[in-house]
Amino acid sequence: MRIGIVLLIAKHFWTSVFKTRTIYLLMAIVGILLIYSVYSGTRYYDQNHFRSDHQEMARKSWEGNPDKHPHRMAHFGTFAFRTKHPLSQFDFGIESFTGNAVFLEAHKQNTVNFSEAGFSTGLLRFGELSMAMILQTILPLIIFFVGYSAIVSDREHGTLKLLLSQGASWKEILFGRSIGLAWIAILFSLPFLLITLWLLINDHHSSGDVWTRFFMISMTYLLFALILSLVTIFVSTGSKSSKNALVKLLGLWMLMTVLLPRSSQALGSYFYSTPTKLEFRSKIEAEVIQHGDSHNPNDPHYQALRDSVLAVHQVDDVTELPFNYGGFVMSVGEEISARIYNKHHNELLEQYRNQNKLNRWLAIVNPYLAVKNLSMALCGTDFESYVDFQLQAEIYRYELAQKMNELQIKHISPNRVSGSEGKTHVVSREEWKAFPDFEHQYLSIGRSLKNESISSISLMLWTFLAIGLIVRQSKIAKAI
Amino acid sequence: MLEAIDLSKMYGNHEALIDLNLTVRTGEVYCLLGQNGAGKTTTINLFLGLINPSRGKALINGKEVNINSDTNQMIAYIPEVVQLYGNMDGIENLNFFSRLSGHTYSKKELVELLEKAGLKKEDHTKKLSSYSKGMRQKVGIAIALSKNAQAIFMDEPTSGLDPKATDEFTTICKELVAEDKCIFMATHDIFNAVNVGSRIGIMNEGKLVHTADTSSINANELQELYLKTI
Repeated sequence: MRIGIVLLIAKHFWTSVFKTRTIYLLMAIVGILLIYSVYSGTRYYDQNHFRSDHQEMARKSWEGNPDKHPHRMAHFGTFAFRTKHPLSQFDFGIESFTGNAVFLEAHKQNTVNFSEAGFSTGLLRFGELSMAMILQTILPLIIFFVGYSAIVSDREHGTLKLLLSQGASWKEILFGRSIGLAWIAILFSLPFLLITLWLLINDHHSSGDVWTRFFMISMTYLLFALILSLVTIFVSTGSKSSKNALVKLLGLWMLMTVLLPRSSQALGSYFYSTPTKLEFRSKIEAEVIQHGDSHNPNDPHYQALRDSVLAVHQVDDVTELPFNYGGFVMSVGEEISARIYNKHHNELLEQYRNQNKLNRWLAIVNPYLAVKNLSMALCGTDFESYVDFQLQAEIYRYELAQKMNELQIKHISPNRVSGSEGKTHVVSREEWKAFPDFEHQYLSIGRSLKNESISSISLMLWTFLAIGLIVRQSKIAKAI
Repeated sequence: MLEAIDLSKMYGNHEALIDLNLTVRTGEVYCLLGQNGAGKTTTINLFLGLINPSRGKALINGKEVNINSDTNQMIAYIPEVVQLYGNMDGIENLNFFSRLSGHTYSKKELVELLEKAGLKKEDHTKKLSSYSKGMRQKVGIAIALSKNAQAIFMDEPTSGLDPKATDEFTTICKELVAEDKCIFMATHDIFNAVNVGSRIGIMNEGKLVHTADTSSINANELQELYLKTI
């Protein structure tokens, strides 16, 4: 295969495409979509300011509390806000459907609330126009539309015989056209990536991790463009007519972007069903009650606990203990309820992960899913990033509750006769300040990639497969 | 220059070409006459190396032709309908196809080639989609010229051409032959075959049934022979 000839054919294809008016119309449409997606991405990301303001307000409100009983502070609680990743401007992922703020308090694991979907009409279900969404669903259509007749029309017009008789080999023609089409696909993708780069440069939160992620996202989409170009040329070569090739490619697009993803979701829900929110809560409640109610002094479990504590310390009443027994009970209760919640929550997550696993394995046969999953993971807007936020919030909530219990155990005593501002059972407000604020950390790139290892492998395999298909096609293709 | 030895091609059970034996020498125009499906285009496709023979062999300058051979470098091909790329002009089309065959020409040389093929200068920069069939044919000839091929295969080159364009085409063919090139032409056009050809072969149902030297036969006799044969 002569590289010079391959590039000549690629360049010729590029020139030929840009001699038509259609390509400019497509560029105009994509340009409008790009402007809107950039606007909506930046607007979306701007919510970070709103969130950080509210996180700050929640903190001020927490620290503004006067000297108080720590258990009252544990119920006063605070908020954890999920910070949007700088790359979420590019790919919204599932963020609109997941919440972004959670109220953290003792004994209770509240759900993450205030999702965009919860404040929107049903139209959001049709998907938002993010830059990633355009590259994932509109770009394949453009590639198919530009390239469907790349080979078959030459055969229909008899030009293919002329190309071959001029000395070009099948391999040179097919790879040349594939590269030419890939250049066009890259031309369409490039503005999206460059604008994202520009947005990241202007974002002060962009770190080395963000640049690595951006590089990998760019590579992912460029590989996707190459795979689609190769597949388009493969289909065009194997089709009997241009119309036939277009129908095949449109069918492929529907299969790739609509049917397979929907089927994987439906199959996932069928094979790995999840409880309703009510069922989930009820189960936890029932199990917690089974273990005992820390707020009920007559609860048999806690009565037994009290008896054993009194026996160990050889006293007759909890007031004689060297620590606050109420705080101790709350601490034990918190530990039990958190353990039960975590057990059920982990089971629920496992079911969701099993559903997602099906989707991930389907990425082996569907490069669209591979790109979608990888893109969301790299932009920190995938399910695992959301779960990680939930986990961070729960860890913080548990630590906050236990810290308040610890303060109660240490500093609150029924035997105290005086306290701050005339209140006996209170702890200094300095303690509230001493407890660190919640700070959302993004999932590390290593973990994101590990979660999407199947998608990464799928993309690599598809690249080799698509090249292999072209090589194979070059051996069996017919000019007549 | 061109030689077919027991050249045969089968498509499934259908024998498209049966034991074709012929030789075309340098400076000759060999015209192959026959009805549709007689095996003319199959013969050209075999010489172009687009398909492999079922039996026998096609030789160009003594070198056997097959899908993987590099005999294409010695030949040029002008299809029945030279479509090329309609959204590009004559110069751009010629530039692309000549570079494809490994020949790079300056714009001046490309213009000269198109002029030699008979295309008027004012048409060189017009889009091919606005060309008549005859004008496209001339770009096809320029492509053949740019390759400097020793043998040129033409598949029904005059079908659909008006008499003037046919005459211009005939003149160009004669000029090419004068430059010691050989032309292998599949055609339905008996009168043009007699006019431009050195030798004529008549094919029927995959077999070469008659050959004649144009110096020994006129158009009417050839027509009579052709009608008897098919």
